[in-house]
Amino acid sequence: MKCFDAELLDKLPEKYRDKLCFVGSDTGKRHEVTVDPEDIREVLKTVLEAGYQQLVGITVIDYPDQGVFELVYMLTSIDKKGALVTIRTRILRDNPVIETVSDIYPLAYYQEIEAYEFFGIMFRGHNGLRQWILEDNWAGPPPLRKDVDTRKIVLELYYGGKRYERPVQNRSLEEHGSWGEKQ
Amino acid sequence: MVLKQLGLALKYLFRRPYTRMFPIKEEEYVTGRTRARHILYMDRCTGCTACQMACPADAIKMYYIEGDYPKNRRKIFPGIDYSRCTYCGLCVEACPVSALVMTSYTMQHLITDDKKTTLYTPEMLAKPPRGKHLVTLEKKTWTPPPAPLPKKR
Amino acid sequence: MNKTVTVFLGPQHPGAPGNVSFKVVLDGEQVIDIDLIPGFLHRGFEKMMEYRRWDMDLVMSARICVEDPDHVELTYTHAVEQIFGIEPPEKAKYIRVIVAEFSRIASHLLWLMHFAGPIAARYAVGWAIAAREEVLKWFDYITGHRIYHHYIFPGGVRWNIPSDFKEKTLKVLKTIEPLVKDIEVGFFKHPVFQKRAMGLGRLKPTEAIRLGATGPTLRGSGICHDLRKTLGYDAYTELEFKIPRGEYGDAYDRAMIRINEIYESMNIIRQALEKMPMDGPYRWRLPMVMPEGEGIGRVESARGEFVAHIINYRGNQIGRRSLAPYRIKFRGPTMPLLTTILKYIVKNEDITIADLPVLIGSFDPCPPDIDR
Repeated sequence: MKCFDAELLDKLPEKYRDKLCFVGSDTGKRHEVTVDPEDIREVLKTVLEAGYQQLVGITVIDYPDQGVFELVYMLTSIDKKGALVTIRTRILRDNPVIETVSDIYPLAYYQEIEAYEFFGIMFRGHNGLRQWILEDNWAGPPPLRKDVDTRKIVLELYYGGKRYERPVQNRSLEEHGSWGEKQ
Repeated sequence: MVLKQLGLALKYLFRRPYTRMFPIKEEEYVTGRTRARHILYMDRCTGCTACQMACPADAIKMYYIEGDYPKNRRKIFPGIDYSRCTYCGLCVEACPVSALVMTSYTMQHLITDDKKTTLYTPEMLAKPPRGKHLVTLEKKTWTPPPAPLPKKR
Repeated sequence: MNKTVTVFLGPQHPGAPGNVSFKVVLDGEQVIDIDLIPGFLHRGFEKMMEYRRWDMDLVMSARICVEDPDHVELTYTHAVEQIFGIEPPEKAKYIRVIVAEFSRIASHLLWLMHFAGPIAARYAVGWAIAAREEVLKWFDYITGHRIYHHYIFPGGVRWNIPSDFKEKTLKVLKTIEPLVKDIEVGFFKHPVFQKRAMGLGRLKPTEAIRLGATGPTLRGSGICHDLRKTLGYDAYTELEFKIPRGEYGDAYDRAMIRINEIYESMNIIRQALEKMPMDGPYRWRLPMVMPEGEGIGRVESARGEFVAHIINYRGNQIGRRSLAPYRIKFRGPTMPLLTTILKYIVKNEDITIADLPVLIGSFDPCPPDIDR
């Protein structure tokens, strides 16, 4: 497929140069490449040198039927008029471990904490993995995984397993009178 | 140094306040599109439960009502729980026979001190509200054209 | 001897910007370190959206950001339209621009309330809320609701505009403009405020890019980057407007940019009213079943860059409705502002605890979009 950024194409490692492609439409136009999880730090360092200096976010997607987690790193550049690059990798679901990139991009420190508490992914080299948004609020399995049914957990914990239906009273507001009319 | 600001303060000192004294002196502010309480037309409803599947807040529940309604063979009608409704209007868009409409009889009239009055059964919804109201959202006034989707690969 | 004191600036504090808390390490009156503690507003949107259809998800996505909900609906709409592969009709693009710019004006006026209140300038709060009330009445006239509208919908806008749209909109703009001018003279040119805010929290341009700033924080340091001009979505490609920016990167520049943005928004609305086509469709009807695919929507909201990433996949799911999207992720603009940038400024400059409300308020944080 076509590729419009020559600087990015030069700086990528050899084995990914012909896998770079340009996808998307409207505001989602971007360059995209799929890499192996061992090379993630090297690829991100070259992308930083090519001019993409801001990390927008790290999206984690769970595919239980294929047995993988997919991580998508979204990076953008201010000099190149807001261009976007996405880098995708896949790691195994049974033992999800990957290297951290928080010394290359400062915002990745907090996005990785979020990936740890919602999906259970360990990042090697990160010294602050903990429950940050869900602190003191959730004591179960990582909630955003597909085999955790949070509706059932809440129903059994707080409502004893049955959904509460309000009893019919048949008292409408106009017979009762609202506070505005009861002057 | 602060003379300009003192002048402004004097100008605003003698203006009338911007408060709207509802309900003692003025009416509430209602436009031709304000969405609030629903009305159900029981002779059009067929009991298909499309409104229950379209509600994002889980506020519609179907009740079994006996009566002479020839279009509704399953004899179920929707009732709305107003402590959960968000007044988005997706139930009105989903109904295929336009049996649900929304009026402008707003929540400023429906504020109450008793929570039991917020659950409305279908018969209570079928009675039109007692005060002044306008019918603001109904399905038969608009049906947009279908989208030009790209061809499948 | 250890002289530092740790203070919990909690969620009910009048100087905190919303429902977040900070852990502040003090030495006398000087702030040494600051840490963010979020989680008081976590409602679990990303999991809730996996149980509902794509049009029910629009109603939920508006409630992520309280102050500026139309831009969140706009970014969700862009992502869904990329998955379906359609473009909205011409008339709908102009109406979306007008609604989004009014939402930006209302958000900046609400920012004034959060900013001027804790530093004891209560007069500006009253004027700003009076101006915002006129904008909320206009929203009630067009869409039916005051704050969460659900008007921008995938496929266009939800209903047609009424027949006296132009006159009513111009009248609202004429009512707001003297109030905004009075706020600019009465609050921003006041010598006490200038003494408090000038020179506070300087951000150099290279550091601002590195730490992830977008929106008025980045433009306050002198970099001219606005997604409405560089990416160009909806009808912004056919309108002419300037982008206000600052020079020094301190708190006073960041605050002045927002007042200038209100004037530019009024300019954009007047141009869009002239150029809008009056005939033609305003909405396409989309099917209920979403095809497989992926979409990324990015817009320039009142605070910075708002990104929505939606993925649809129809493999072998475990326990979920088959019509719901597979994974939705939002990233709000407040996360880099209150975590990386605040820590950097506190470590490299002398900040006392009395400067904290002015400093945090000049970033305009919206705590719901950190926790979602």
